[in-house]
Amino acid sequence: MTVPAIRLEHVGKSFALDGGKQFTALSDIDLSIGKGEFVALLGPSGCGKSTILRLVAALEAPSSGRVSIEGADPQALSRSHRLGVAFQDHALLPWLDVRANVALPFQVAGKKVDTARVEELIRLVGLSGFEKARPRQLSGGMRQRASIARALALQPEVLLLDEPFGALDAVTRRQMNVELQRIWSAQRITTLLVTHSVDEALFLADRVIVMSGRPGRIIRDITVPFERPRKPSVMRDPAFHQLVDELTLALEPEGEAE
Amino acid sequence: MTARSDGLQRFMLGLVGIGLFLGMWQVIGVYRLAGLTWPPLTDVLAFITDPSKQTLFGRAITASFSAVITGYGLGVVAGIALAMLGRVVAVLKPGLDRLIAVIHAIPLVALAPLFMVAANRDATPPSIAALGVFYMIYVATTSGLNAASATHRDVFTALGASPVTRFMRLELPAALPAIVSGMKLAIPVAFIGAIVGEWFGASRGLGLLMVSAMQNFQIPLLWSAVLIVTASSLALFGLMSLVERLTYGRYQ
Ligand SMILES: Nc1ncnc2c1ncn2[C@@H]1O[C@H](COP(=O)(O)OP(=O)(O)OP(=O)(O)O)[C@@H](O)[C@H]1O
Ligand SMILES: [Mg+2]
Repeated sequence: MTVPAIRLEHVGKSFALDGGKQFTALSDIDLSIGKGEFVALLGPSGCGKSTILRLVAALEAPSSGRVSIEGADPQALSRSHRLGVAFQDHALLPWLDVRANVALPFQVAGKKVDTARVEELIRLVGLSGFEKARPRQLSGGMRQRASIARALALQPEVLLLDEPFGALDAVTRRQMNVELQRIWSAQRITTLLVTHSVDEALFLADRVIVMSGRPGRIIRDITVPFERPRKPSVMRDPAFHQLVDELTLALEPEGEAE
Repeated sequence: MTARSDGLQRFMLGLVGIGLFLGMWQVIGVYRLAGLTWPPLTDVLAFITDPSKQTLFGRAITASFSAVITGYGLGVVAGIALAMLGRVVAVLKPGLDRLIAVIHAIPLVALAPLFMVAANRDATPPSIAALGVFYMIYVATTSGLNAASATHRDVFTALGASPVTRFMRLELPAALPAIVSGMKLAIPVAFIGAIVGEWFGASRGLGLLMVSAMQNFQIPLLWSAVLIVTASSLALFGLMSLVERLTYGRYQ
């Protein structure tokens, strides 16, 4: 077996609360993601999905256990500008326009801005014509898309997406899903996607991880059988529906499952 | 659209307020409601614009304004530079903060006589102005450099930003609104510093004019000097408010 791209070994994370108490956000998370694999993370609000992403991005250190990327410390990845993150709240710089925001990773990495790539990404996420708009002039969904373009700018090896399509209408969301699949297929970026949509997880991912909360732990790990490239019509497949039902059931709190 | 007409309405109300103030000044002066030491506005304006007084005012204005501009410029540059130094060389920060707090705790007016004996007497007005401005800008820049949000810091961390890049592309732009606000508030401080400095015996300037007019009971001259200082300070303050508004619109 080769070294997995992302590895979480018995990872626990607790936060110190104001009263001096500890809050356990994650307990005993064990997760391996292969190189080029697309994994979706499902779970109720507050179960620790964003925390897992932050651990992988080295924005947070585990309280116990170990997080490694290609066998190394996760910081090595971001330090060498090989990580792409789209945060839950877009996090675009308000004083830069869309084009400058998407170009930011080049400048931070000390590379020459690849204007053709920046334009291409803006077009991909459907923001052509808004290159000069400032984030506050955009809708929530448009900001999210700009932030995805920024995450992809440097052709990262690992892509972390935290509910990137949460603010989109169903049609745009589907379009973005198709685009994301296309980009992922072309570059085989190791991707970890947090989503609340079971459909989206099944359409995009090779594996779907289901978490439960308090403390956050993994309760299901399902391999998605559908062939790629997947067309939106796969969502009408009876096997798709069966998996949707299974995952939806797994997401329900234990008490209400019966 | 509404924001613009709102702004226009505020501007008009401001004009009405200033008009009322000037009108009251005039009325009190004309009817001697506050005694002989309160001249009507028109008398003061006539005095300022009197051709025979042009060289007197011209020299005083040049002296005071160069003190204000020098002091303001030095204070702004030094304030920003030291705040940035404290940020970049973190070990210096506590010491700098302490030193600057101590300097600020000493009343500036009490330092003026020291400047008079220690330095050139014409260097006193810009020095006092610079000290006051410096403190304001240092505090504004220091707090501004902490203004970047936690998520934006996370973005830079995830992108693998070096400390220099983080400073230039995140912390400095995020500090700009606070710095501009500080620069606005520092304008009256620069005027106060320069005028107070002149009171202690500069060889020329509007402050000196005020003191000698007061001692010789030259009421229109006294009011003229006060009016020139106040109007200039207010005008520059208004200009900086505009710059501030633009900066906030862009940077927040
Ligand atoms: N810095 C922190 N300090 C204290 N508690 C935190 C901190 N960050 C997260 N938590 C807690 O950890 C838990 C998991 O948070 P997390 O943001 O990972 O949830 P999530 O699964 O992403 O939820 P959502 O779907 O609503 O985004 C929450 O209960 C939250 O209150
Ligand atoms: Mg979250």
